[in-house]
Amino acid sequence: MRKFTAVLFHEYKKIVLKWTFLLGTLLFPLMGLAFAIVPAFIFSIKGEATRLVVVDPTNKILPRLKGNMSPERIAERQKQAVDEALRGVPSGQGEQMSQTARQMGSVFAFVDMEFGNKPVEAVRSELNAKAAAGEIDAYLIVPENIGANDAKYEFRTRKAGDFIGNEVLKDALNEAVRAQRMADANIDAAAVRDISRNVTIETKALSDKGEEKDSDMLFIASLVIGMMIYISLAIYGQVIMGTVVEEKETRIAEILFSSARPFELMLGKLVGVGLAGLTQLGIWVGSLLALSIFLSRQADLGPFLQSVPDITPLMVVYFLVYFLIGYFTFAAIFALIGSAVTTVQEGSQFAFPPMILMLTGLYFSFAVIRDPNSAMSFWVSTSPFFAPLTMPVRILAEMPPFWQIALSVGVNVLAIAGLVWVASRVYRVGMLMYGKRATVPEIWKWIRKV
Amino acid sequence: MTENGVSLSVLGVTKKFGDFTAVEELSFDVRAGRVFGFLGPNGAGKTTTIRMIVGITAPDEGSIELFGEPISPKVQDRIGYLPEERGLYKKMKVVEQLRYFAALKGVPRADADKRIDRWLDRMKLSEWKSKKTTDLSKGMQQKVQFISTVLHDPDLLILDEPFSGLDPVNVEFMIEVLDEFKQANKTVIFSTHLMETAERLCHDIILINKSRKVLGGSLREVKESYGHDRVALRIVGGREVLDDSTVVSHITEHADQIDVDLAEGADAQHLLTKLIAAGAVVSNFEKVEPSLNDIFIEQVGGGVENA
Repeated sequence: MRKFTAVLFHEYKKIVLKWTFLLGTLLFPLMGLAFAIVPAFIFSIKGEATRLVVVDPTNKILPRLKGNMSPERIAERQKQAVDEALRGVPSGQGEQMSQTARQMGSVFAFVDMEFGNKPVEAVRSELNAKAAAGEIDAYLIVPENIGANDAKYEFRTRKAGDFIGNEVLKDALNEAVRAQRMADANIDAAAVRDISRNVTIETKALSDKGEEKDSDMLFIASLVIGMMIYISLAIYGQVIMGTVVEEKETRIAEILFSSARPFELMLGKLVGVGLAGLTQLGIWVGSLLALSIFLSRQADLGPFLQSVPDITPLMVVYFLVYFLIGYFTFAAIFALIGSAVTTVQEGSQFAFPPMILMLTGLYFSFAVIRDPNSAMSFWVSTSPFFAPLTMPVRILAEMPPFWQIALSVGVNVLAIAGLVWVASRVYRVGMLMYGKRATVPEIWKWIRKV
Repeated sequence: MTENGVSLSVLGVTKKFGDFTAVEELSFDVRAGRVFGFLGPNGAGKTTTIRMIVGITAPDEGSIELFGEPISPKVQDRIGYLPEERGLYKKMKVVEQLRYFAALKGVPRADADKRIDRWLDRMKLSEWKSKKTTDLSKGMQQKVQFISTVLHDPDLLILDEPFSGLDPVNVEFMIEVLDEFKQANKTVIFSTHLMETAERLCHDIILINKSRKVLGGSLREVKESYGHDRVALRIVGGREVLDDSTVVSHITEHADQIDVDLAEGADAQHLLTKLIAAGAVVSNFEKVEPSLNDIFIEQVGGGVENA
């Protein structure tokens, strides 16, 4: 026991008291934040107002366009777009971009010019000349037949890459033309808008007790939890493998084995590194919690936070249990690989089987979110290797009956006992084999032999 | 401290790896307070035996007792083991590694820190205390490894090829430290294939070859059992006597002397009489003990590397 704690503290301190741990711990959430905020921030940098000339011989579109593009209307539309973004996940990349564009808004300055009855060609060449001289940035030529199917609106701009501005103009123009068409057809635009309003679908999940709960953010929350467990498992599995290989490579194993039992050494290592992992996870979860509390006080995110699924203390306990299950399962596998190979590089080549197991678990968890009560969900959340990634998601989606959780924990604890036993066998022989990588038949022999 | 005066007792130990027998029916005792040389060519089974003694692997047959007890974590704490293949954590500070190894041997933290300072000072490594292994030269690393072996003040020191890779100054230094252990009535076992070092340091030896014990006992006993039939000779004239195969079995000529191995049944006195009768001027006539090196070569034969 004394030696076990010596190993435990050694492994824990070796990881936690290094500046790379601090950096990794801080960097990971910062990187997440950066991915979320930086693009939005960059998009929100508004350039100078685009100086736009609108040639409108009918003089029907221009006033409406000006109205639609007034700062108030743009702000209104922005708010609407933000609302939509929070409500649902945009379907595709393109949809997402135009939604972002709407959220951003953009500034246009209308330049008034008189053209009289000049032919279109003359107007065009005059505008082209002005654009070339830098006096204007863009022009829009409205055709005579504004409402016709073959009506062609010519938009020429020197800022063709400003997709945000172009999107805003397109929206405003469409709206203007639509309104004009309705006016031409004697239809009351306000009435039409009222009639064609979207219905509001209120989606709530039903628990097995028939209680309602919000499901809007379920997918995202599951994703976050699944990814967090997956990443921690992958990182700390590799850490275990690294420390095992180092002790083998440097022959420190020989000193260790002459001081303590291999099983004690192995367990001390697993628990020590595991505690380091928990420390990091704890910092992340804690700061996530603090951040969301801070945000909820700071900004008007009330509706957003309400749709985050309720996480009860019991769930947190379950998440912790499954993190530990996953950790010990995969750490034992990585330790086994580490003691069978000769260098870290060789180890990473052989790390793919456990990595694939983990990834499969992560993919299963997506299926579990969609149907948490299916037979498939039951089996994957009970089976070793997959349970640590699928059961937390299942619990989040819908708390399964207690016996299923108990069964799953039982099966997995048994699996871990077996894995640690097998790994410590390979460890005690493999760690003293220098020079060559062990073959699978050799490893099999070590496991069977006392 | 030393039960029955025997620190280590190896009894009929056999270890096999698949079809290969690394150690076969090996038995020997190591008495407390003695320096014990574990000799043999490469591949004889020295490291395998040492690994069984320190409890890294278990024998297939036979038994090993340390201080009168079978191997256990408690007994392991009384052993200081320096493996032949050594290493340190690459990115860890010297002091932290030493603390860890001390903790593994059950030394309380405060004691460990005092001892670490004392040993680092002795090894002239104090200023390297907070440096990482990668900053140390190879010689310094070996010193740190040696410190890690003795930090817990073991009663039995087991050193596998302790002098390999050390420069002469450090070899002398190490020998000095081993002497102190000897003075403190602690037991030292070391394996080597350097016979001169063994000859200089050991009270007792065992020689193994091809997994089996060849000979063993105190250095004096071993030498005496080999030492009756060699004479170191410096003569002028009378060389024809040395060709007489009834008296001389073999001669080895050196620059200024001849080593003469006597034939079976012949004795040194007889040789001297014959030489004088042949008119030889004898300036040196000395019965010599064979060196450990000679014994080693005779016993192990030609298939020896690095001996």
